[in-house]
Amino acid sequence: MSDTKKPMPSASTTLALLRRFWVFAATHKRWLGLGLSMIPLVAAMSTLRPLMVKYAVDDLIPAHDMVGLRVLSLGFMVAVMAEFLCQAVQVYALQRAGHTTISDVRRKVFNHVIHLPNRFFDKNALGSLLTRTTSDVEALSETLSFGVFMILTDVVMILSILGAMLWLSPWLTLITLTVAPVLFILVRYVGAVLRRLQLEVRKAQAAQTGFLAEQLAGVTVVQLFGREKAAHDEYQRLGQRYLSATKTANWFDALLYAVMDGISAFSVALLIYFASPSVLTEGGAVTLGLLFAFVDYLQRIFIPVKEFSGKLATIQRAAASLERIYGLLDEPTEAAVEPGEENPLVPWKGGLKVRDLKFAYGEDGPDVLKGLSFDVAPGEVVAVVGRTGSGKSSLGRVLTQFYTGYRGSIEMETPDGGLELRDIKPSHVRKHLLMVQQDVFLFQDSVAYNICLGEDDLACDPDRMMDALELVQARKLIDERGGLAFEVGERGGNLSQGETQLLAFARVAARQPTLLILDEATASVDSITEQKVQHAIEKLLEGRSVLVIAHRLSTVRRADKIMVLSKGEIAEMGSHDELMAKGGLYAELYTMGFEEDDPDEG
Amino acid sequence: MGSTRRFLSRYVAPNLPPYGLGWVMLFATNWVVVRIPAIVGEALTILEERGPQALAGTRSLATELLVLGAVVIVVRSLSRVLFFNPGRRVEYQVGVDVFGHLLSLQRPFYMKRKVGELVSIASNDTTSVRLLVGFAALQVCNVAVAIPLHLYQMAVTDWQLTLWCLIPVAFGAVYMQFTVRKFFGMVRDSMQMLARVSDRILEIYSGIGTVRSHAAEAAAFERFDLRNREYLDLQLRIARVRAFSMPVLGFSGLVGTGIVLWVGSMQVVDDGMPVGNLATFTALLMSLVGNLTALAWVLAAVSRGVVSWGRIDELLETPPALPDERSPLQLDAPPKLELRALSFQYPDGDEPALHDIDITVEPGKTLGIFGKTGSGKTTLVEVLTRVHTPPEGTVFVDGIDARDVPLADFRDAMAVVPQSPFLFSTTLRENIRLQGANPYKAAADASTTEAMPDARLDEVLTAACLWDDVEQLPNGLDTVVGERGVMLSGGQRQRAALARALYRSRPLLLLDDILSAVDQGTEARMVSAIRQLRGGVAGSMAPTTIIVSHRTSVLEHADEIVVLADGRIVERGTHVELLAKGGEYAETHDHQGGEGA
Repeated sequence: MSDTKKPMPSASTTLALLRRFWVFAATHKRWLGLGLSMIPLVAAMSTLRPLMVKYAVDDLIPAHDMVGLRVLSLGFMVAVMAEFLCQAVQVYALQRAGHTTISDVRRKVFNHVIHLPNRFFDKNALGSLLTRTTSDVEALSETLSFGVFMILTDVVMILSILGAMLWLSPWLTLITLTVAPVLFILVRYVGAVLRRLQLEVRKAQAAQTGFLAEQLAGVTVVQLFGREKAAHDEYQRLGQRYLSATKTANWFDALLYAVMDGISAFSVALLIYFASPSVLTEGGAVTLGLLFAFVDYLQRIFIPVKEFSGKLATIQRAAASLERIYGLLDEPTEAAVEPGEENPLVPWKGGLKVRDLKFAYGEDGPDVLKGLSFDVAPGEVVAVVGRTGSGKSSLGRVLTQFYTGYRGSIEMETPDGGLELRDIKPSHVRKHLLMVQQDVFLFQDSVAYNICLGEDDLACDPDRMMDALELVQARKLIDERGGLAFEVGERGGNLSQGETQLLAFARVAARQPTLLILDEATASVDSITEQKVQHAIEKLLEGRSVLVIAHRLSTVRRADKIMVLSKGEIAEMGSHDELMAKGGLYAELYTMGFEEDDPDEG
Repeated sequence: MGSTRRFLSRYVAPNLPPYGLGWVMLFATNWVVVRIPAIVGEALTILEERGPQALAGTRSLATELLVLGAVVIVVRSLSRVLFFNPGRRVEYQVGVDVFGHLLSLQRPFYMKRKVGELVSIASNDTTSVRLLVGFAALQVCNVAVAIPLHLYQMAVTDWQLTLWCLIPVAFGAVYMQFTVRKFFGMVRDSMQMLARVSDRILEIYSGIGTVRSHAAEAAAFERFDLRNREYLDLQLRIARVRAFSMPVLGFSGLVGTGIVLWVGSMQVVDDGMPVGNLATFTALLMSLVGNLTALAWVLAAVSRGVVSWGRIDELLETPPALPDERSPLQLDAPPKLELRALSFQYPDGDEPALHDIDITVEPGKTLGIFGKTGSGKTTLVEVLTRVHTPPEGTVFVDGIDARDVPLADFRDAMAVVPQSPFLFSTTLRENIRLQGANPYKAAADASTTEAMPDARLDEVLTAACLWDDVEQLPNGLDTVVGERGVMLSGGQRQRAALARALYRSRPLLLLDDILSAVDQGTEARMVSAIRQLRGGVAGSMAPTTIIVSHRTSVLEHADEIVVLADGRIVERGTHVELLAKGGEYAETHDHQGGEGA
């Protein structure tokens, strides 16, 4: 997924996105409203101050009205204080609304992603999903807190000042603001060039850093082959590219910044030049105090303009992020379970009736299961064997509803009759039907958490967990390391492969599923742990229906029934002895030791 | 401190000319910035007095203002560029020095540091340093010039008023001192917390299969939301500080202008102070406060920059810890390799990884090293290739102690295929050839190199059984592979790495477990091709070869095979002899041989 290569969304798309976004923001509209309502107050206070000065200069000072001046000055202080408080409330309220909204968005995205069907995770890289949940949401946050609200504040302030200026003297306003269009054009042009340059800068920097990361990752190879100088030269070359890009950008940045100082001086110069005659005329339209006010306004009106175009760019980037986030939120999730909904599988004892099961991964993909029909009795252990590509892994995935869309019938037998698998919600199914694979994932948390996965029903009971560990012969192991509270390292880093396998089995034992699907794929563990693993598997096979994708001879021998799959169909079925006697596919697989084919295949 | 001295002399000193000129520009800028309100005040006073030359006076002042406006644009731009560009140059130089140094550091260093951390030092920390000597330096120098000039102009206009209006500003500045540090501390914490939220999200996404197969989504959400809520709480605390504390300095400036109004208007009425001074003062005060606020924000950049330089300096001062170079080495012919009572322990290992290894490999012969995972075979290869420095008197090449040889010479004498094949983000062709001044500029040079036929390349591609794979690639040999290109399978990578070593064609050849991801049929072809290639290059002898494997079929034709277990040699002999002995080697051979033809 090359997100960076998509074009920026258009203005209409942006508006549509923002409208949709309102749903999130609306939850916090009280804070939002408070913040927004402060904006005109702040602008009013700020605009009022020069008018007070005007009054002082034009009326109070010439009249030598000391009392009046004192009162006015106090009023001025009050206005300053009020402005400070209102602005503080405004900033806090808007930030609060912004941050809580973003927090909600992040929760929504996360919750949505963890309920997406497996197919989605197959097609999308983890990195891309992470970016959407984090960086894109962060980009929104920036825009909200600093982009949108700032623009609003600035616009109101500019309008307020403009209003005051026009009220005082329309023609002076016109004269002094002749510099404004020049400013706009300059800022737009230089701003656009600058943004383009900054993009180049970012790309050059990414190239240099990417190169560095790669070289360091393979530093041994670089050193063994004596490529240090070549690598260093290339890094310098990339660095030079980055450097010259930034130097060019710096000129434009400096110009843009410096223009603000100049523009303000220009407009004041125009003001003085053109207003002087009127001021000097007795009873002229322009008073000295008015000039005072104008000088103040002119020094403030241009400041927000410079930030403007930059903020627009931020909003555009946020729109792109928003688009990606909604793209994710629009993906359909698995059917959710309503709170309080009953699980129809509670009376299920593990009996399965599969008739003519067909399944393909994609809509137009080939069938990997081509019409399987078999039964599993409650408490029966069925071993499934076959070569890679025979469909044995797919069988497990269909049964746990990780992939939907099977054809044919899978009936779970209950006293009330058979329940079709596709009619039951996946969450309900998974409470009673568990699949365990070789690839064990462990959280960086306590052993207890890793066994019960944070659910507060039966599985989290410490006694139950200890019993589970006991069952799989991992109890001593865990006790030696400090018991249930022992912290498992990142991805199980501080445990050996065999030990993580035992923990996975403990998870199953704690849950006591009605039907277990066990994928036994070989792992290279030392013989002591291998014994423990085998023993644990033995224990897990007791007292429930099991479908085991077998690789160990011991497991196969233990099974009540063996199903041999070949190219998506059942080739042979029976007990070990029966099948050996046949001397067919099973016998062949048995002699080869059920080894997986070589990993070099695509 | 040595660290500061190093920084100043190595990186700042070369940039003194632009900094010096920048200083001059800053002075000019601030002189103009301070002059402008003075002129405005003057003009307003003239207008108040309404003298005979008033209009001419104000108009000439207005013109002066216009000119100053133009001047300030020029000098302000220049001052920024003259500070920012040196900052960038420093960033470049530091980055280059860091990378160069990293390339000279050996494996013991890399065992202790994570790549991610090192990348961060070379990129994020250099950025902080750049901000220190660019942006922060500009602001600090600006303020150093601005404040005296502002205060001077204010005092010259009216020193009493100056003192009055500075009172609130002084309070504000002190308050800011405390607040800013706290604020930036909180911002740093919030960034760390965001990283934690991100980690948590990644963890759960990575284990989504487990979560969902156990129907534990609700619990997973709680797990995430805990951190999410923590982050939100911190953000709200920061918002409070940002809203109520950070604007205090600006607010104190406004209070100051209120005082200017109060005191100043009195003075105008009572003492006949020119009214224009009010405008001058207000403008100067706001400008001064603006500068102080900029300073506060800059302090954070300064402290970050200093900390970053500390990390960089520590890295640059880390010695490569290599033994003295006493005996240069130039191998014209395949050497004799000897290991005498080699015992080796990792720098922070509890016990030796290799015990008492005695091996002699005559020139041009092949040694096979056999062992299970953890037997020490990779350690042995790493010592032989001096990825880890061998102890004195243990490894000899043509009778010379390997330790005494300059590392560059030593590495130049061998072609190695390490255990996990690493491909660079360039074309497959250049990954194998590693030729030319710049193998990474492959894309641009592809057109030129394509034209030249390379018999050697063809040979090694055959030996490594890569032709079929090359055909399947979109651009054949010119396909860009590696992280940013086409991802090759494990087997393809191994064979490409083998081709690379064969292409290099050196008197010493070391192959570490290179055929593990290859199926038996391909393996057999490659083994025989390696043998042929070794002896087949026109006019040269076969290199002294060491092959490491846990598959006996690979080692069949070695002149001698040593079997390692727990870092010791437990068996040795030829393939036939070892089979006869019936030990570990023979056992494994039976087991592996039993698998399909």
